[in-house]
Amino acid sequence: MDINSRPVVVKRMPERVNTRTAREFLRDVRPFLAADRPQLVFDLSQVVQLDAAGVEMLLRCMSEAHKRDGDVKLASLSGQAAVVLELTRTERLFEIYETSTEAARSFSGFLPNAMRQQLLHNKRPPAPAAA
Amino acid sequence: MDIRGLLLVNTENIEELDQTPAALTGILDVVGKSALHRMAERMQQYGITSISAVVETASAFAACNYGLPADVTCVTATADRFWRAAESVFNDMAQNGAELVVLVRLGNYAEADFEKLVQCHLDQQGRVTQMEWGALPLEIFCISASRRNDAASLFRTQLTHCRSECPRLQHEGYFNPLASPRDLRQFAIDILTRKTQTCPAGKETKPGVWIAPGALIEKGARVLAPAFVGSLARIRAGAVITRCSSVERNAEVDCGTIVENSTVLPFSYVGAGLDLGHSVAGMGRIVNLRRDISVEIADRKLIALLSSASSKRLLTAAMEVLTYLPRQAWQGIFAGAKAQQPDLQATLRQTSPALGDAADFETPACDPEAAQEFRNMVVARRYGHQ
Repeated sequence: MDINSRPVVVKRMPERVNTRTAREFLRDVRPFLAADRPQLVFDLSQVVQLDAAGVEMLLRCMSEAHKRDGDVKLASLSGQAAVVLELTRTERLFEIYETSTEAARSFSGFLPNAMRQQLLHNKRPPAPAAA
Repeated sequence: MDIRGLLLVNTENIEELDQTPAALTGILDVVGKSALHRMAERMQQYGITSISAVVETASAFAACNYGLPADVTCVTATADRFWRAAESVFNDMAQNGAELVVLVRLGNYAEADFEKLVQCHLDQQGRVTQMEWGALPLEIFCISASRRNDAASLFRTQLTHCRSECPRLQHEGYFNPLASPRDLRQFAIDILTRKTQTCPAGKETKPGVWIAPGALIEKGARVLAPAFVGSLARIRAGAVITRCSSVERNAEVDCGTIVENSTVLPFSYVGAGLDLGHSVAGMGRIVNLRRDISVEIADRKLIALLSSASSKRLLTAAMEVLTYLPRQAWQGIFAGAKAQQPDLQATLRQTSPALGDAADFETPACDPEAAQEFRNMVVARRYGHQ
């Protein structure tokens, strides 16, 4: 059973994320962030340069998503992006996945196991009584 | 016996830290002194008092002694004239009465036993004696000054070939190829952990903590052993320097930054609140050794190159102070003009345009049945790595 079928938006980040491109990127993703419980995955595979403005933009997206009970996850980090995120101590704030597919799939596993089990249990037809 | 020392350093592509040729690391400070400086000091310890260094530079007019001791003569030459200049210095030494010349080319840093080398050379009665490390020939030679033709053939083949057969002496001491930033970092670790005979260039203020004269460590900053802070370096409040880290001369580590198992190159600035680990930082880039990657940092808030001219640094600091109040006032004026955040409740109620066709679909996660069942449950955030 699919517990969570809300759409997951995967967005590829530009090669160079500086003040200008970060602003443009934020403008692009803002409609998705304004959704109810937004589920976003940022693909950083092409990023070769990420500066403080880019990191700030990522944090801003995460903060906006959290306000609406959603989340932003990162995927396919290039070495350059990983180094800058590690340098700015922001890599620990995000869930990071090897691929965008894994990141998108992880959203369906968001509900706590206890809740998921109970939901499954309630919807299952009652077992026939033993003879 | 008149024995003289000749040190050679090629310094091409000095800006490219990731493409550093072995030669660059010869003049780059490691725990307070360059390999060139350390080698000159080592020669002096072995009684070789007359030393000359030939250093390759981009400009023919560059005059710099690369922090060498005052009694070491430094000659600079452009790439195309480098080997000719080296040969010329050798000839001058021979003309001025030298009997033997100990020739060392950096890159590689080997703590050679020059006494043994000279003894071996005299015993073998060769013209040129070379040192080797295992099967690797080192660019450390002992040359009879009277054998100019042998020396000339050596210089003209860039130390790869000698006219006559030269006996080899096995090197047994410390050796570092200094061929990459990783080697540079390893060299710093080896010096700080005293695996080398050469020492950190500073005063040991606490066991394992070396501070060079003029270093400024602000109140609240911590330097944990083993670590080194170079001359005129500045460690700002809340910063932590730890695990064999080395902050070289005139570098600056800003507030709250952690430097762990890293080297901050001379005249480099590391921004505030950062986490620099397992890296060599400077010249506008970071070489992360764990990920084995070199990253160019264009943002001066993270990593920047400070001016090597003290007057320029003073001017920049004065400008910062003078423009502080106007900047604060400017920010104060425009701080109120921020865009209004949309109302959260209204946003939650409206249908998202991003959902598209799925907007009308009732997702199980928002199932009213589930909502009723788990009314008091708060879903905690989970992290992928936890």
